[in-house]
Amino acid sequence: MLDTLTGLESATLARIAAAESPDQLETIRVEVLGRKGTLAAISKDMGKLAPEERGRVGKLLNGAKTALESALEARQNEFAAAALRARLDSEWIDLTLPAPGVRPGSLHPLTQIQTELEDLFTSLGFTVLDGPEVESEYHNFDALNIPPDHPARDMQDTFWLSGASLLRTHTSPVQVRGMEKLGPPLRMIAPGRVFRNESVDASHEHTFYQLEGMMIDRDVSVAHLTYFMKTLLTAIFKREVTVRLRPGYFPFVEPGFELDIRCLICGGSGCPVCKQSGWVELLPCGLVNPNVLRMSGIDPEEWNGFAFGLGLTRLVMMRYAIDDIRWLQSGDLRFLRQF
Amino acid sequence: MKFSYNWICEFTGALETPARELEQLITLKTAECEGIEPAGELLRDAVVARVEAAEPIAGTHLTKAVVDTGRHGRRTVVCGAPNCRAGMLTAWVPLGKKTIQGVESDGMLASGAELGINKDGTGILELAGEVGGPVPGCPPDFAIDIDNKSITHRPDLWGHFGMAREVAAILGKPLRDPVRLDLVPSGPCPVKIEIGDFKLCPRYSALVFENVTVTESPLWLQCRLTQIGLNPINNIVDLTNYIMAELAQPMHAFDADLLRGDTIYVRNARAGEAFTALNDLSYTLEPSNLAIADAGGAVALAGVIGGLDSAITARTTRIVFESANFHAASIRRTSSALKLRTDASMRFEKSQDPVNTVRALARAVELMAIVCPGARLVGGLGDSRREPSPAPVIRLPLDWLARKLGRQVPAAEVRQILERLQFGVAEPEPGVFSVTVPSWRATKDVAVKDDLVEEVGRMIGYDSIPPAAPLLPSVPPGRNETRLYHRAVRGMMTAQGFTEVYNYSFISEAQARELGFDPAAHIRILNPIASDQELMRTSLLPGVLKNLRENGKHFDRFRLFEIGLEIHPRAEGLPEEVPHLAAAIHEKGDGTASLFELKRAAECLMPGAEVRPGPAAAYEHPARAAEVWWRGERVGRLFELHPAMLETGRGAVLDLDLCAVERLRPEREKYRPVRRFPASEFDLSVIAGARELAGDLQTKLVSFAGELLESIEYLRQYSGPPLAEGSKSVSYRLTVGSPERTLSLDDVGRIRQRIIDGMRGLGYELRV
Repeated sequence: MLDTLTGLESATLARIAAAESPDQLETIRVEVLGRKGTLAAISKDMGKLAPEERGRVGKLLNGAKTALESALEARQNEFAAAALRARLDSEWIDLTLPAPGVRPGSLHPLTQIQTELEDLFTSLGFTVLDGPEVESEYHNFDALNIPPDHPARDMQDTFWLSGASLLRTHTSPVQVRGMEKLGPPLRMIAPGRVFRNESVDASHEHTFYQLEGMMIDRDVSVAHLTYFMKTLLTAIFKREVTVRLRPGYFPFVEPGFELDIRCLICGGSGCPVCKQSGWVELLPCGLVNPNVLRMSGIDPEEWNGFAFGLGLTRLVMMRYAIDDIRWLQSGDLRFLRQF
Repeated sequence: MKFSYNWICEFTGALETPARELEQLITLKTAECEGIEPAGELLRDAVVARVEAAEPIAGTHLTKAVVDTGRHGRRTVVCGAPNCRAGMLTAWVPLGKKTIQGVESDGMLASGAELGINKDGTGILELAGEVGGPVPGCPPDFAIDIDNKSITHRPDLWGHFGMAREVAAILGKPLRDPVRLDLVPSGPCPVKIEIGDFKLCPRYSALVFENVTVTESPLWLQCRLTQIGLNPINNIVDLTNYIMAELAQPMHAFDADLLRGDTIYVRNARAGEAFTALNDLSYTLEPSNLAIADAGGAVALAGVIGGLDSAITARTTRIVFESANFHAASIRRTSSALKLRTDASMRFEKSQDPVNTVRALARAVELMAIVCPGARLVGGLGDSRREPSPAPVIRLPLDWLARKLGRQVPAAEVRQILERLQFGVAEPEPGVFSVTVPSWRATKDVAVKDDLVEEVGRMIGYDSIPPAAPLLPSVPPGRNETRLYHRAVRGMMTAQGFTEVYNYSFISEAQARELGFDPAAHIRILNPIASDQELMRTSLLPGVLKNLRENGKHFDRFRLFEIGLEIHPRAEGLPEEVPHLAAAIHEKGDGTASLFELKRAAECLMPGAEVRPGPAAAYEHPARAAEVWWRGERVGRLFELHPAMLETGRGAVLDLDLCAVERLRPEREKYRPVRRFPASEFDLSVIAGARELAGDLQTKLVSFAGELLESIEYLRQYSGPPLAEGSKSVSYRLTVGSPERTLSLDDVGRIRQRIIDGMRGLGYELRV
């Protein structure tokens, strides 16, 4: 019996090693280790042995069983591992193929610069206000100290509309609406679309974007205005800029300024961009004219302020070196997808 | 306006500051210079030369001239001018040698036009003067071009003397006034002046000359005018233009013999009054136009243009010089209404100084002696005026000035600046100036102390004020919810592959009609640039349609969107401006995917939004058009464009009223506890007609499910055997549950049966 057992164990181990599939292993398991298998039969026959024999054989029997079981399990694991390897290998993907699905679209460059400036001014405590694009003559002109028949009306060629209104020629009427609505003290900006009755070419548009800004407080000076403009422009151009103020006439400010920046292309030595002057005219600004404050119900003896107007369209063109203003409202995706 | 550097120097004395530097200083302290250019550059080297011999070159119109040029010696020049003859004095310009018709020509004999002295190119100059010397009275110059907009508020800067006053103040130079008031004659004036309304005409001054000879002006005068861009005409007209360019006072000369009667009336034109102007055009006047009239009718349009019938001609021997002052707004109204912008109207609309009328006439007396030597004054000055208003006095506290500028300026410096600009300064109490405004700044320009801030600020130089941060309380700014919402919508749309476009607010009538919009329901632009920009858009669709068509030429598949304003007229007041989102997808396929992509975008913006198919507009695909509803309101449309609208592919469009969508957004809701008891699911399939709406079936299922229904999910739809032709099966998965207990099988069964019974009651078959 002992010999039988030893022979069975080694033969079975050899069969396990030679098995070619999980099915063959299962056949071996049933034949040898199953309830009606060879080992079970041997175990049944053990009763016929002498008691001292029985102990020895029993030990050997258990040893063989354990050995076979672990060999089976090891071989099963080998098969499982091989199967997994095969499956994973079959799942090979060519990752150089293009990814499907839509790509994000892009925001219009004017939206992008507008968002950037709104965030900048909000961080400086300015509220973002809106006003209508179709304006009354009062808000666009009269309340800004430009009465009818004032020659300053020539400075802005106006689209007049049926119904005694006009298309706002600047974002400045939002100043008036801001003062009327919020009163002093006030820090506000108003970005938006404005209209001038001008023929369109590479550098002129009848529709463009401005950002109006205004601060009203107790003691606002030219020094404060310069400080805010420098801060603003440094943030926009992401580097230190040199600015200068020179006299400029806008009826809603007194004194009024044109603010120039030292040319960022040539650094001031003169180039075609700055027409050899070293300076680039960037934004009109000034201290709010007392008449304007008074018309909006603010006492100029108690409050004063500054106001400025930034050309967003111009800024976008400078930032991306866009050579033709007409691209911006072309709706052409070949242009717009670049932003 | 162009300014002559030499002319400015006549009043300030010679300047060490060259023209280009002066231009920069004027830009920084006074007004914007648009450029500077040399005027009459050839005059730099031109000399007076005597033609010693002139012989025609055979077979040509040319003359071979031998000229004595003084210091340049004798030169041979080929000249094409008909007046080239021996003995004459003319101008020779050294330009190098070249061979013309086989003759070596050395330099050029020049016409007035070639030298920039006048417009006369018919012959070479006829000069007097010293051979070898410069062309007399015609030095080379620089023309400084000042941006007219930047002197809108400065009536005084529309003449050289005013600019010279600025230059003198900037450079600390003395200023010489060219006007000699002692030349104004006294005694009665042969012309009477009657002003109807002193508000419209605060002052009218006149002088009469006789024994006048109308001829060419002297070269120096022609040269001056030409170098600043004016055309020399004759000595009388040139004189008025010269004085206007010098003193900013427009003048006019009438032929006195052509005036009817002895009185000049300044009155409103009569309705329908006919008037022929110097420009040869006839105008029909209205009472809002101010006329200068004689006994027979209008002879000039006040402050704008003179009349042809009383104009100076070669036969004129007696003249009336008009030097008047008019109400700015009135002149401007007339000149805009008649579309007649003249050098005079441009100046008058800036509110000229009434004091200047007589100053200009005094200057005319002096200059007439030079340009028209035989002329004699007749009588004295005619001058009708309203009582001049006293010079305005402004109280200027110096500490207030410092607060405005953000910098202290010593009192002595403030005084010096103002006095150089010819303001009167007194100090009635310490630290407070009492500033008297000179007449030429007092018409409109300087009225309040803020105006003086500018005078001091520009002269100390704004770069002398260091930037300073204000001390302000730190206050969180107000939130612009609408802008923030639009920003979120933009972010969502781009994340879903849409690219943002901006379209114009203008559309053409044709664009409106193409979409079936009534042009009359649009706000109309009264002065459009072009006919395709006549109407204000009441929809973003015309723009988006154009975007689809144009981009369709370059791409098969693309997505774009715009957020912009629809502008709708209202019965009263400003129009309604409604922000809309228009999104579009262009593709070549069957179009289904695009519509559902847009529907998905709508649902992302408006969770729970419904799309309800309905009648299509003419530009919409008749079987693919729907309304978009959210929280009980119609907020927009989802549709495919009618194939006739787009040739390059299919175009799906979503158009939403962003104002409504923003308003309908739910308030932040409270957290709903997560259900603790398990839910149960079951599936139902409803057999329905092939075009019955899945959305309707779902609504019906929900209506029978009761309050324990947690969710319903569309699974699939099927048509084909064994279903009857024309029908389909739509499957849903329903989830039911209770917050209080686990539903028993019986509970679930009862709900399911109730739905089945309910649907059967409506005539539906269910596959269960």
